[in-house]
Amino acid sequence: MTPVFETDWDVIVIGAGMGGGTLGRALAEAGQKVLFVEKGTEGLRSERNGLSGIFVPEARAARGLWPDPLHVALDGIETRFFPPLGSGPGGSSVFYAATLERPARHDLDDLPDQPHPTGGWPVSYDEMAPWYDRAARLFQVHGTPDPLSPEAPLPLRPPPAMHPAEAALTDSLRAAGLHPYRSHTGIANVEGCQNCLGRKCPKPCKMDGRSAGVEPALATGNAHLLTNAEVTRLVAEGDRITEVEVRVDGKMRTLHAHRYVLAAGALHSPRLLMASVSEEWPNGLANRSGLVGRNLMLHVDERFALWPKRGTPDTGATKGISFRDFYRRADMRLGTVQAMGIRASYGEMVHFLNRMLALRGLSRFSILTRPAAAIAHTLLGHAHLFVGLMEDLPYAHNRVLHDPANPRRLAVSYTLSDELRTRRRAFRRALRKGLRGHRHMFLSITPELNWGHPCGTLCFGHDPDRSVTRADGRAHDVTNLWVADSSFMPTSMGVNPSLTIAAHALRVAHLMLKDRT
Amino acid sequence: MTQITPRDGFAIVTGAGSGLGRALARQLCEKGFIVAGTGRRPEALQHTAELCPEGHFLPVTMDVADFDKVAQGFSLLIEQHGPLALLINNAAVYPRIDLLQETPDSFWHSMAINLGGVFACSHAALQDMAPRGAGRILNVASFADIAPLPASAAYSVSKGAARVLTRAMVADLADRFPDIVIGDWLPGALDTEMGIPDGLAPDQAAQWGVKLALMRDPSLSGTTFERDTEILPPRGLKRKVRDLLLMKRPKPRSL
Repeated sequence: MTPVFETDWDVIVIGAGMGGGTLGRALAEAGQKVLFVEKGTEGLRSERNGLSGIFVPEARAARGLWPDPLHVALDGIETRFFPPLGSGPGGSSVFYAATLERPARHDLDDLPDQPHPTGGWPVSYDEMAPWYDRAARLFQVHGTPDPLSPEAPLPLRPPPAMHPAEAALTDSLRAAGLHPYRSHTGIANVEGCQNCLGRKCPKPCKMDGRSAGVEPALATGNAHLLTNAEVTRLVAEGDRITEVEVRVDGKMRTLHAHRYVLAAGALHSPRLLMASVSEEWPNGLANRSGLVGRNLMLHVDERFALWPKRGTPDTGATKGISFRDFYRRADMRLGTVQAMGIRASYGEMVHFLNRMLALRGLSRFSILTRPAAAIAHTLLGHAHLFVGLMEDLPYAHNRVLHDPANPRRLAVSYTLSDELRTRRRAFRRALRKGLRGHRHMFLSITPELNWGHPCGTLCFGHDPDRSVTRADGRAHDVTNLWVADSSFMPTSMGVNPSLTIAAHALRVAHLMLKDRT
Repeated sequence: MTQITPRDGFAIVTGAGSGLGRALARQLCEKGFIVAGTGRRPEALQHTAELCPEGHFLPVTMDVADFDKVAQGFSLLIEQHGPLALLINNAAVYPRIDLLQETPDSFWHSMAINLGGVFACSHAALQDMAPRGAGRILNVASFADIAPLPASAAYSVSKGAARVLTRAMVADLADRFPDIVIGDWLPGALDTEMGIPDGLAPDQAAQWGVKLALMRDPSLSGTTFERDTEILPPRGLKRKVRDLLLMKRPKPRSL
């Protein structure tokens, strides 16, 4: 038994997800004594569940899901629901579809032909590139290079063979002048691979924060995983954290380390800092800038159904196709398009429609969702579902809220800007034009936010007045605190955030090892 | 649909000293399985062993209402013969007692066997099945709860509750462990000590039971089979609307 509470750890990592798992692994492999502190339960490795709408907190926790709902004020309409958030080793990534796409240069850099909304990330694309390569190797990413990208391709493993429907769809997209490629996916395809997209993988096959992070970290013998431990507060003296308070089995305990890494996700990491108020830190720890929790960004999901050409064999759902033909316009950031790997099933449609209504305060119309879903299911039967991911830009008023009377309550306030609505219309127009000749149908009327991709709430930058963490991931205001989840991102990019979270975590780990002060 | 084979592991049949349990154990042994059969009477289990191909039947004297013994016994069996591929919860008692003669203790004792035993054995089996993410549990069930007969309070209540337990286990486990397949099987009225003289021969019923027990299609989780036919759950309004709109009509499966 490791005396967890008595040990003076080199590093305590709060949250063992994509960021924390990856960073913890790099540190443990370098010989650091690492403690992962995880609110969720370890569960059994054989579990295969996906996300669940079940509302019983204990049942959610047992499934590795965040137990409590998220309270959202969206354009002023209050609602609550369960976002796709994990809680347990691997965090949300055990439920992801293993999409590990690298962003484009304009996502990070301020370019002459494409100015960056924040003036550019503090770390350039070229500085990040080797970390993307490392992350791609670590997560065994397979796929083919994006033919439209002028950059050196990621080190990609060959993808599995396409099934006939995928091949036919790729051909017809190409014939329409588009540039499809095989999605960049972190699945090792071990024997008996069940392609666990959207659910827990029982084998070391889907590469996520658990299989590629926490587990290899534990295998070094240098790391330890403490589960069912909810961090409630970081305690600081001056500009140093001295301990963290955790609730274990209903009892408050303290943990000690030289250095602390916050990796609880873009919703919980800022919530924890805001809950860590003291006389010295009246607005929350590391919050001199007042930006902790602000600039929350989500992707807008533009889902559409695409029918393969007549005569195409129906060989199941497509996951393996992406294209970036509509990634940007000269004056506008749009996004990447990828197959979702699911069919338009009835249950999926009911869930999707109900959520859409709830977020608009229109749940009274939910009686219509079942007939609508049945019609959609019948209409969409053989269609492939695609999603265009479009970024939202950072706005200080989009933020994680903190209620001192109820610090565990997870709540956000979000407003869709006119600028976003304009870009979304342009994205749809571009998609419609580009897909001419393919039967397709958009599946949403109003912008649908992707609550699985929150980021930006502890953004990094050079200026301590305009960012929370430094370019090396360390907090501007607290000398022994680093951030290694999607909170650091100054902009949300036109691709899934996972590979960027992993690359950033590897880079931060490297800089932590270099600078051991 | 793939079948469970002796290569997948051994089987446990509770209440294997008589009637249906004996027939189930014997037929599983004949299919090549190692079967641990539990019962309270060693001589009855010995008799079952004599009916089985040599070396296939392991008599295990155990009262399923003795929860500690169940946990220890299962753990030992799994250690020696594991993995546990199949559990058939068959042990049950049917004391015919007028309600005025029944005591809280006697009532509770029947509950401990018919309901507590199912939970204890399933729980012990899951210690092996859950980490592997695979296994089969078949509960021998009854509709005695729907219209309780006189002098059958403990039996009706416990057997009804046992069917709720099956559904509760499915609610907790099916999404996490789809390859642990849990369901109910009603053999119907049998010609056994517990059953009726003109009931079905246990050997005949056991053929269906064994067939169903060896099926491991995840879609069987939460289903109820009566003899050789699936009993579909009553459809709620939502389900009816859905089936109507999708132009689907559920069809019961047959063994």
